Amino acid sequence: MAPRSRTLPLLVAASFAHACAWADDPVIQRVLVEGARASQLGIADAASAGTVNQKELALRTVYRPGELLEAAPGLIVSQHSGEGKANQFFLRGFNLDHGTDLATWLDDMPVNQRSHAHGQGWTDLNFLIPELTARLDYKKGPYSAREGDFASAGSASITYANRLPKNVATVSLGQNGYARTALAASHELDAGVLTYALEALHNDGPYRHGDDYQKLNGVLRLSRGYANNGWSVTAMAYRGRWNATDQIPLRAVDAGLLDRFDAVDPTDGGAARRVSLSGVWRRTANDSASKVSAYVIRNRLDLWSDFTYFMEDPVNGDQFAQPDRRVTSGFDAAHTWHAHRGDMSASDVTVGIDAQNDNIFNGLYRTAARRTLDVTRADHILETSLGAFIENATHWNGWLRSTVGLRADAVRFRVRSSLDQNSGRARDALASPSANLVFGPWRLTEFYVNYGEGFHSNDARGTVASVDPKTLAALDRTPGLVRSRGMELGLRTEAVPKMQTAISLYRLDFDSELTYVGDAGTTEAGPPSRRIGIEFSNYYKPYKWMSVDFDAAYAHARSRGAAPGRDRIPEAIEGVAQLALTVSQVGPWEGALRLRWFGPRPLLEDDSVRSRASTTLNGRLGYRIGRDVKIEVEGFNLTNRRAAAIDYYYASQLRGEAAPREDVHFHPIESRSFRVTLVKNW
Amino acid sequence: MTARSLLALLCAVIAMVVAHAASAHRFHAGMVDVSYNERTGSTEVVHTYMAHDVEALLTALYQRQFDLSDPEDQAVLRNYLDKQFWLAAKGGRRIPLNWVGVTVDTDSVVVFQEAARTPVAQVETIHDAVLGDFLPDQQNTVNVTANGSLRTFGFTANRIEQTIH
Repeated sequence: MAPRSRTLPLLVAASFAHACAWADDPVIQRVLVEGARASQLGIADAASAGTVNQKELALRTVYRPGELLEAAPGLIVSQHSGEGKANQFFLRGFNLDHGTDLATWLDDMPVNQRSHAHGQGWTDLNFLIPELTARLDYKKGPYSAREGDFASAGSASITYANRLPKNVATVSLGQNGYARTALAASHELDAGVLTYALEALHNDGPYRHGDDYQKLNGVLRLSRGYANNGWSVTAMAYRGRWNATDQIPLRAVDAGLLDRFDAVDPTDGGAARRVSLSGVWRRTANDSASKVSAYVIRNRLDLWSDFTYFMEDPVNGDQFAQPDRRVTSGFDAAHTWHAHRGDMSASDVTVGIDAQNDNIFNGLYRTAARRTLDVTRADHILETSLGAFIENATHWNGWLRSTVGLRADAVRFRVRSSLDQNSGRARDALASPSANLVFGPWRLTEFYVNYGEGFHSNDARGTVASVDPKTLAALDRTPGLVRSRGMELGLRTEAVPKMQTAISLYRLDFDSELTYVGDAGTTEAGPPSRRIGIEFSNYYKPYKWMSVDFDAAYAHARSRGAAPGRDRIPEAIEGVAQLALTVSQVGPWEGALRLRWFGPRPLLEDDSVRSRASTTLNGRLGYRIGRDVKIEVEGFNLTNRRAAAIDYYYASQLRGEAAPREDVHFHPIESRSFRVTLVKNW
Repeated sequence: MTARSLLALLCAVIAMVVAHAASAHRFHAGMVDVSYNERTGSTEVVHTYMAHDVEALLTALYQRQFDLSDPEDQAVLRNYLDKQFWLAAKGGRRIPLNWVGVTVDTDSVVVFQEAARTPVAQVETIHDAVLGDFLPDQQNTVNVTANGSLRTFGFTANRIEQTIH
């Protein structure tokens, strides 16, 4: 059976249909059938944008679900407290705290929580189920009109599968009290496809006072048709509770008073619940595509933290609670018209609108061992935003593409606070233009020029507050929306066979930097900033069974307008690098080794105290026992490095100390640990 | 190239030129050759589809990239083809089609199936809804070679089953 003579008619047919006529799949990106990472040539608008597919995600070694986002080069996801807390993110010279300036979506639902009790843009990804994750799309910089709030440093969009090719059940056991079981399956029904997943997890971590993190998580989805012509309705529910080992002072460890994995206040911790109902509808025809999605999300968080110990209250201690209860509802809709002329030019015009409302009750309480002593502040916040964009993407000819867009955003804040002086209303609006030019490809090489303006919203409470609720000192109000401006020159090449390389040189300015105030557990709107950086990412797949990733990023972050020598931005990461070797389908074996370098950060504006860089090595080894059964061993921090996941520099006072002391406070990375997982497919 | 292949090519080209005149969009076409292999005594079925269409189909079904050189991913395509394409004998009895294999290049996906120890003459009905459920303008051409003569049948989303005798 020789296929060649039979393919010929089809190839002739293909010659009549050119690559620019892609209106049948503007929603789903083109993929290649080569087993390698999908080429972004002709697709991405920037060298720093990309897509990671399910197989690559499945081959990653992840300690916690949020680490899946590290598949985006240059992004670091860590934890500085109890395991159920939102992760700590670092990207492009930012300490993004719990997700400020990194917009994250799961199936068109926003994950970032604005005006959150603990941190602006709070991104708790603990409800993410890796078994359902089909792809991750990431962008860096504010170059797209499609993304609004928080999408300045970057954005990540996670897609769950509507149906699974194979059902999966998995059981894992590991050191430090780790146990996990998950089930994910699809059933074909008359009405469509029912996909569901259930997950239960326990983890203590290496801490003297174990996290005792308990998670229950579930997803139920009914979908019909195709992702580009169909709909899905999804219900999700997650609950977690945990003890937290918050950052501890270095002086106590140096003096032998505390072990590296000790906690100062063992009653720190939290509990989170999230339930959501969402739906997506898409229709794609030859010359148009429409999408509508809507969601309702209910989030409840209780969080007890203690970062300063006995500095403010020598008797009861400084523990505080930051409860947050909210209902987030919203929708977004977009429509694309496609037109083309001749073989080489085509144009898409997309208009979109999105709206989001948050009804939030949150607060800041003084507590001792989770018992409330008094209420520092309690607020009811209504935050409503509306965004609209128009975007044109044009293939002008064989070597020039452009994407230009304009986005308009308006937000209204209404705050009723326990203090009348901090109640009020505010509004803000801004327009964000963006433009992207892509030249090439020539010899499988494209060049990118990107410019865009973006923004992040500030905490609603800051936009109306007039006094500090603790000290009653007068406060300046912060603007509702803070402008960012980014520009980038990029190059992507596949000129070296089997290798994908991208280089981007970028600048990102913020009108006001949001910085984390370690001793208050809040974010504060600070001075303007500028970041200049370079990113270099490589994916080399010399053989079908082996791939190598090498990514490196350097960023120079400074406050603008600050006195010379005092212009460093605390916690701003200066560099990140990763080197990974992945081997798959070598007989029954597969495996991966990943070396991650987490660069140094200044801890103070004058750079007098710095955190050290750290290097960690993770790995996994899988063995297929039968066609449908696999056993995996994952190892974390294989070289057992004693490094910090985060360092802060501020004043604290331990019991027995006469006065507060400025010091480095750190949270250790987890010590070496192993997990064994049995995976059954059917 | 044999006369039969030339004829098939001509049919395909005409169909495509017509489609191209009506709309300059990507043309969605598939081709199936059904013929008898005297050496093995089996009826061989060879499907040829545009790689882009198959990729888009699988991605839209599962939201992820597929590698059709991987047997696990091939099984997903097989499930789909088994649902959308079949041959039936008199009385509506389905003729079992074995999966022989698949070849993939950047332009096309070719699937090989065979009905063991079955002459083409046994085929009474062809059901071909491959890609028609995903791409409304999909046109599939089935060439049946029996007793030295070639007959061509066209399938669309609205015409998914034909009796060939």
